[in-house]
Amino acid sequence: MRAEDVVKSFHRGVPPFRRTIPVLKGASLEVHAGELVGLVGENGSGKSTLMQIVVGLLQRDGGTVDRPGRLGYCPQVPMVWEKLTVDEHFELFSRAYALEKDLGAKAADDLLDELEFAKYRAYRVEDLSGGTRQKLNLALALMHDPELLLLDEPYAGFDWETYVRFWEMSERRRDAGMGILIVSHLLAERERLDRLYELSDGRTLAE
Amino acid sequence: MNAFAIAGSSFVREHLRTPLTLLLLIAIPALFVLASAAVLGDFARALGGTVAGQAATALGAGWAAAFLAGVLGFFQVASSREADRRLSLAGLGPTRVAAARISAALVLGLVVSAAAFLSLLLRTGVEHPAHAAVAIFAFAAIYIGIGAIVGSLVSDPLEGSILVAFVFMFDVFSGPAMTSGGGLTAVMPTRKAADLLIAAGAGQSSPLGDWFWVALIAAISMSVAFTSFWAASRSRGGP
Repeated sequence: MRAEDVVKSFHRGVPPFRRTIPVLKGASLEVHAGELVGLVGENGSGKSTLMQIVVGLLQRDGGTVDRPGRLGYCPQVPMVWEKLTVDEHFELFSRAYALEKDLGAKAADDLLDELEFAKYRAYRVEDLSGGTRQKLNLALALMHDPELLLLDEPYAGFDWETYVRFWEMSERRRDAGMGILIVSHLLAERERLDRLYELSDGRTLAE
Repeated sequence: MNAFAIAGSSFVREHLRTPLTLLLLIAIPALFVLASAAVLGDFARALGGTVAGQAATALGAGWAAAFLAGVLGFFQVASSREADRRLSLAGLGPTRVAAARISAALVLGLVVSAAAFLSLLLRTGVEHPAHAAVAIFAFAAIYIGIGAIVGSLVSDPLEGSILVAFVFMFDVFSGPAMTSGGGLTAVMPTRKAADLLIAAGAGQSSPLGDWFWVALIAAISMSVAFTSFWAASRSRGGP
């Protein structure tokens, strides 16, 4: 995945009181297959905006983005349906990813075991704790074994054991050839990363 | 089942699992049909209109279906915008997400119309039940579009619900036989559906032209709803 000179501004209010808020002023980053890359920045620096542009959820004002066709996206706030169960989410996303029924069911079973929340599979999202919602959020991004995995503050709400397991999972997938980008305002595990970018004043700096 | 069918049935379940929705499915038709038909007649007289008796009761069933369908149409867009967008991005695409949403909205519209029609049957009986059933469903279909377009413009649940209720109130009190006519009453979207329902309630048939207009307005409303669902689930310009 390569993003070059990405520019994005948001507009607030109506003319003549309209304000333009520049967020990204030429942000660039690359993630190659088999790389674990971090993107850090202060709150409000535009990390999630850049992530959403890379994923294709948000339109950019300028710059270019090249990304692989099969990508997984774990948003900062779980984008899920409160009234549907964990299993129903897996079924929906399995079809959206065009997985064969057996393959989708196996992927769901494996992720439920790997993240240790199989006992909640019949629970509605509204009945899950914040950490378990985040596990579902992450699992939905992983179930089709993407070429590129984009994780926006992926471990918010995880307990210590799940946090450690998350890094182990990420490293296993990186070693298997997956490109992974982790966005966070706080990355304590910098030694696990292959590269790190810092987003400041709308631009990325490679560290 | 294919992806579209699974998404559509999931969206229906999502709404029917809300206890308040189920409560309103019973309470709103009961309120509009069983309790407020006489009040509707009093309002009509005060506003210079003529609706009363069985016609007012029949009209109440249409309004019950309209209100419920409008609110559900609004929440179809507003409550799950982010999750729908993620599903679209995962590969379903905005067109199939929108098709699943509109299918779910129509199923919910059928459910609320059936509840309103049943209330009408229990209250007074209808001389032209088939005409009344179609007219009530037309009210629901028209308000799915109104609810969906409000949902695409307003994301806050309270503000959106108030806006749907405002359009609804304006529509109710400017409808045919509720006022002496004139002004905006001629262009309100449910005008022809109300004509059909009043005629069915009074045991009269309606001219073919009225059916055509109702079908056309319902089709336009479905197109508006589809566009709203599609726009809500595609990539966007900003938060």
